Amino acid sequence: MKKLTIMLATVAGLAISAGSALADSTLKMVEVITSPPRTEFLKKQIAEFEAANSGIKVELISLPWGQAFEKFLTMVQAGDTPDVVEMPERWMGLYANNAQLEDLGPYMAKWDDAKTLGDRAKQFGSTVNNTQFMIPYGYYVNALFWNKKLFKEAGLDGPPATLDEFVADSKKISAIPGKYGYCLRGGPGAFNGMHMFMNIAAGKGGYFNEDGTSTINEEGSVKGLQMLADMYKDGLAPKDAVSWGFNETVTGFYSGTCAMLNQDPDALLGIADKMSADDFAVAPLPTGPSGKSYPTLGYAGWAMFANSQHKDDAWKLMATLLSPKDNLAWAKEVGVVPIHNGADQDPHFKTEQFKGWFTELSDSSKYEMVTPPTHLENLGNFVDQVAIKNFQEVLLGQKTAKDVADQWAAFLTKEQQDWLAKNKK
Amino acid sequence: MTYAVSEMRPAGQSRKKRLTYANVEPWLYLSPAIILLVVVLLVPLIIGISYSFRKFSAFKSVYVGLGQYQAMLSDHVLGQALINTLWWTVASLFFQFFLGLGLALLLDKPFWGRKVVQALVFLPWAVPSFLSGLTWAWLFNPIIGPLPHWLYALGLKAEPTNVLSDPATAMWGPIVANVWFGIPFFAITLLAALKSIPSEMHEAAAIDGASPWQRFTKVTLPFLAPTIAITVMLRTLWIATFADLIFVMTEGGPAGSTNTVPVYIYVSAFKSLDKGYASAVAVLLLVLLIAYAIALIAIRRSLVRHV
Repeated sequence: MKKLTIMLATVAGLAISAGSALADSTLKMVEVITSPPRTEFLKKQIAEFEAANSGIKVELISLPWGQAFEKFLTMVQAGDTPDVVEMPERWMGLYANNAQLEDLGPYMAKWDDAKTLGDRAKQFGSTVNNTQFMIPYGYYVNALFWNKKLFKEAGLDGPPATLDEFVADSKKISAIPGKYGYCLRGGPGAFNGMHMFMNIAAGKGGYFNEDGTSTINEEGSVKGLQMLADMYKDGLAPKDAVSWGFNETVTGFYSGTCAMLNQDPDALLGIADKMSADDFAVAPLPTGPSGKSYPTLGYAGWAMFANSQHKDDAWKLMATLLSPKDNLAWAKEVGVVPIHNGADQDPHFKTEQFKGWFTELSDSSKYEMVTPPTHLENLGNFVDQVAIKNFQEVLLGQKTAKDVADQWAAFLTKEQQDWLAKNKK
Repeated sequence: MTYAVSEMRPAGQSRKKRLTYANVEPWLYLSPAIILLVVVLLVPLIIGISYSFRKFSAFKSVYVGLGQYQAMLSDHVLGQALINTLWWTVASLFFQFFLGLGLALLLDKPFWGRKVVQALVFLPWAVPSFLSGLTWAWLFNPIIGPLPHWLYALGLKAEPTNVLSDPATAMWGPIVANVWFGIPFFAITLLAALKSIPSEMHEAAAIDGASPWQRFTKVTLPFLAPTIAITVMLRTLWIATFADLIFVMTEGGPAGSTNTVPVYIYVSAFKSLDKGYASAVAVLLLVLLIAYAIALIAIRRSLVRHV
């Protein structure tokens, strides 16, 4: 009897180990822009993928965005690399230039869904060395949220169309006690919005001239920076805004403290929860003296690590998440503009709240999208630390707009020219 | 004669025997602790110091000798961070100490409900610093927090703005949070020291006609002095290297006005990705704190001698 028990236990043990051998690959996946509902949603998509692909397990690691950069870098430095990673555009240069990302071109060539994939996904995913190191899952396009109630109270009947109107409207709204025209973002993540207004004022998009010199300290750009500093100084934005990040600007907008906010579609999720759809709308950004505007287009996507041991399975996972069906659901959940052609016909995206973004995306003669120079390896620290500190110094009147713009231009020009010299064919 | 017996042995052998039994044995008992200290303290310290002679980027490093130390000499941000650290440490310590001492003196006297008050007073110590930082940051926010409106209502501020967004006042935000967080430490340790003062001393002083103030300065304070010196030293080191509250509440801003040395070390290592420079700054902080500790220990010695 005792022998039989031992035999049975051995057989059971072998069966279990054989079973686990069949589930042969466990994919490690890291997400870096997280929120509890978003992570839940991703887990649901992963569960569906696992159900459809028996034998592949996905282990998801969620890093809170605030410390994601250093945490993920530390993981990679320690050799603890994932198979699939969520890749924000600004990190791409760092990992791709260090030969750590897999070229996704060959996988895409055999991918059925590539047919409907918008051109921008191919273009923005291959900014480093013309190689497809990632595939974006959506775009964060900047547009102008405006509070209809506050505008009416200030005697205004629509959002500003030009930069001058933007300042004038802000002034009128700020005349209402306790209210401000613009939800300025001076703290974490301030660079994009600030640079966008510099571009609009300059009537020139992007970061560089062809010779690699930076455009950030040209006369028009400096005027744009000065305009924001003056607005802050004149009380058209709350005093607090000097250190505002995403949450504070969004709270400032939906609480009715300030009437205008330039933001991406992901801000809509929180705002639509707190405000009635009749009280606000999203308009395209105001245009500058050139009659054009330059919205920032940010993006994040999925990338594969080149040292992955399960590349085919990793691609299967990525292809599922990036399929038109999953991507549309994902875009609605996280608040990004989807990547496949025809998605704008979905009823969800046809509301007044999405109008501003689709107007910008559809009129390329008036709206020129600006993407960050993701090929530069040292962009992260500049954008997240140096530029924000300097911007605050300008807002507080400790440094002049010109001095700071010159300092930024020196850094950007050097980085770009180094890159050009290294990548000269 | 025992001397003669031992002298008859060859000198080398006897010394060897003494080494084996008398000298090595205690070291063997201590060895687990020593190995642990070497592995968790000494090795990382040496690696950290060796990093300060290298220049790092994300995935490579090169030896630059004293380059990082030279760079520190002309680094204005570091200069400002040192001043901020001094300000942050002195102000936090001052209020923590005096409020903690006051609290300890109050809790030393019996009164109704003292145990409940004692438990409540020590509560901040149990809250994770990250959480208290977030809570205080929200309290200072005029959109959702009450503090700016109270300050405005009391006439202390011209309008209900956030102290954290004005470079002139920003440091007060984390200092207030830190004082709230740190009072229990002084209250607990000083209360324990107060309890150890023999009551006869006070009684004798009272019989001799000493006023309450004289009893405090001539009896209580001298007994407390050694505890005060050691707690002040420990607390100074902790506050000077404590970056949690500042980072959570202001991230060193606005415009670098709350940037202290530990925050700067963190930013240099993990945002600028230059571990070498971060290590060099950390070595500087280490040297400054060691010098401070030596000075304070010397002061404590002289205090103890006087008592």
